[in-house]
Amino acid sequence: MNEKTRTRVGGPEDPREGLEAVVALRRTLEALEAAQVENAIVAGWSWARIAEVLGVSKQAVHKKHARRIRERYPGRPPGRKGWGR
Amino acid sequence: MFTRFTDRSRTSVEAAFDEARMLGHDSLGDEDLLLGILRADEGIAAEALSSLGVTLEDAREESEEMLSDALSSIGISLEGVRTEAGEAFDMRIPDNRRIPYSPMAKKTLVGARKEMRRLGDNSLGTEHVLLGILGNADGMAVRMLARMGIAPETLKERLFEVCGRAAG
Repeated sequence: MNEKTRTRVGGPEDPREGLEAVVALRRTLEALEAAQVENAIVAGWSWARIAEVLGVSKQAVHKKHARRIRERYPGRPPGRKGWGR
Repeated sequence: MFTRFTDRSRTSVEAAFDEARMLGHDSLGDEDLLLGILRADEGIAAEALSSLGVTLEDAREESEEMLSDALSSIGISLEGVRTEAGEAFDMRIPDNRRIPYSPMAKKTLVGARKEMRRLGDNSLGTEHVLLGILGNADGMAVRMLARMGIAPETLKERLFEVCGRAAG
């Protein structure tokens, strides 16, 4: 196996680089989930529908995101009427 | 944890938590301790850093660039993700989520305490925190500084110049 093949198959040669990519991805994933849940709420989706697509319970998605979204949109309760475009 | 910390170094650690949350760090890293020192913008360590041209803005940008580079290494474009998610995309850690010290940050503060004792000082200032940071050659902070063109030895020497005592 030449140098190039090994790099491609095993990922980055430096384990640190590979592990740090995991950390970066985890942090980005958290932010992406938060953004897409917020986008869905703004588009008028219910918590139940969001939870179904994410494959988690309604309680879990609500507990994780409701407060943040409420604070970002004061006076407009998420997942109720009045949302949607 | 904060025994013998000066007001300044305590403030810098509090600022570090703020910086960490803002950058989406789910634990306080040693690079955040560096950002905290710059943010508190007082004391010997901040003076040494700014005299070498290291600013809070540059350090924040470098930290984001390191995240972006790490994602690129596995074929993900942070810009692409940002564009796809739209305006709602925000790396910031929500206010209701507490973040812990990372093992590296703890190691840094333990190192800072050792530096304080080694130098025969009675209180733990930002200069000891910075020496603790520089003691972790594997840490994010040292690599971040290297990317900004600052070698640990150069910064250490500058720190002792600012302190007005011989490097040791």
